[in-house]
Amino acid sequence: MLEVAGIGRDYRVDGEVHTAIDALTFQVAEGELVCVVGPSGCGKTTLLRMCAGLLAPTRGAALVDGREVDGPPEDTAVVFQEYGRSLFPWMRVGANVELPLKRLGLTRAQRRERVAEALRLVDLEGKERVWPWQLSGGMQQRVAIARAIAFRPRLLLMDEPFAAVDAQTRADLEDLIRDLWARLGITVVFITHDIDESVYLGQRVLVLSSPPTTLRAEVHIGLGPERDQLETRSSPAFAKLRGQVWAEIQAAKRGET
Amino acid sequence: MIVLVRKALLVLGLPSVLFALWWFASAGSTSFYFPPLSEIVAEFGETWTAERWREDVLPSVARLGAGYAASCAAGVALGLLIGRVRWLFHATEPVLEFARAVPPPVLVPVIMLFAGIGDGMKVAVIISGCLWPILLNTVAGVRSVDPVQLDTAAAYRLGRFRTLTAIVLPGASPRIVTGMRQALAIGVILMVISEMFAAQSGLGFAIVQFQRSYAIPAMWSGILLLGCLGAALAAVFACVDRAVLHWYHRQRTEEA
Ligand SMILES: Nc1ncnc2c1ncn2[C@@H]1O[C@H](COP(=O)(O)OP(=O)(O)OP(=O)(O)O)[C@@H](O)[C@H]1O
Ligand SMILES: [Mg+2]
Repeated sequence: MLEVAGIGRDYRVDGEVHTAIDALTFQVAEGELVCVVGPSGCGKTTLLRMCAGLLAPTRGAALVDGREVDGPPEDTAVVFQEYGRSLFPWMRVGANVELPLKRLGLTRAQRRERVAEALRLVDLEGKERVWPWQLSGGMQQRVAIARAIAFRPRLLLMDEPFAAVDAQTRADLEDLIRDLWARLGITVVFITHDIDESVYLGQRVLVLSSPPTTLRAEVHIGLGPERDQLETRSSPAFAKLRGQVWAEIQAAKRGET
Repeated sequence: MIVLVRKALLVLGLPSVLFALWWFASAGSTSFYFPPLSEIVAEFGETWTAERWREDVLPSVARLGAGYAASCAAGVALGLLIGRVRWLFHATEPVLEFARAVPPPVLVPVIMLFAGIGDGMKVAVIISGCLWPILLNTVAGVRSVDPVQLDTAAAYRLGRFRTLTAIVLPGASPRIVTGMRQALAIGVILMVISEMFAAQSGLGFAIVQFQRSYAIPAMWSGILLLGCLGAALAAVFACVDRAVLHWYHRQRTEEA
């Protein structure tokens, strides 16, 4: 589904070339849920933007369904880190969620239906007529997630989507993502800096190094498909995986190879 | 209800006080140039007859409307283009800054050279002043649209047209409205000035005529009418602003 082949990105700051991502290579199979973790500023957002076709790589390429990404790929939804700024304040919540559906050739009733369903899934049922700026940060982020869900993408790219929500909502949203992923068979790339979250959500966790970033480690999470906030998180297997990812990130921060 | 009354008092309070001040201060005036306000008001009804409205006021307002509408259309369309196309922005920026800095009245004689002295000239004068604030504010507004919003539009492949109409235009609209507000004030001034140079009709023409024929109270009544016209246009503009940008104003008040 998604293939990242030696992708790298340099930024030019005050005339100096600064290598944010050196070279990354990994694959995400159809229907997989992969988490990407790494220290702050290691280039997670940069990686996501390159996969989403919003930023041209300096080296290498991202491929979706075997085709090189040179613009936003079809059937892909993105949830941005800056949730508040990705909603349009001149549209009500319902219109925000509906906007991407308008080019899908659905009838008005079908679009309404999808919007209502997506909002219900993120626990914002009946909030169509509310303005985004009347909502709390966590609620705004859930609108952004509802917009992605309503779009029914094949590939869902999420950039630290739960950073601004409280612990309880966060746990609910994590279960929601796993549930949607299992039911709809979509492919999910989930970026986070939260180690527990990556282990709880992912089938696989990719750990990035500090810049110039490379793929530091790949941890297979053999926790099985059924996960429970309480049981899974308190299981010894979870603790062991968590420790493994944690150690990799600590090593990444120290710049070890 | 009480809120409405308070608002009405607030809006009408200062003008009423000033009107009263003028009324009483000028009541005993014997100056030829500053007649009592009561005389001006009396003159108002006599001067601004139905015929004068038809011959002078309406043509003026029509020319203002035409010039202003053309400026809005051209300013927003060009502004969207220049704001979205990076090389075009860098190529036109210095020229636009220069054009903005030229005081519009100095262009009147120049425009008269090629546009004659008819309605076309007056509309052209109005456009020559109104276009720049709208154009420059639209460009600035388009360029200040949040990049995350543009990324969102791109990621969902909204397409050029929908991105422009659903994202860029509303995102830039607060600045566009600011430009249109500045342009309206400039437009009223230029409407009058263009009629002072060479005209057979219009508010500006009428006022100059009164002044030249020493019909001083009539001249003052014309100035009063101009002021009222400006205030009425500003009020209409405020209503449109509230309707179009209600999300913007409410967001600002509710977030504060
Ligand atoms: N537009 C830009 N211009 C210059 N440098 C940039 C730009 N965007 C990102 N960088 C740099 O690239 C590096 C990676 O940034 P990026 O935002 O991808 O990190 P991140 O892993 O998403 O961080 P965080 O966890 O804080 O969200 C950082 O050092 C950042 O300063
Ligand atoms: Mg980031």
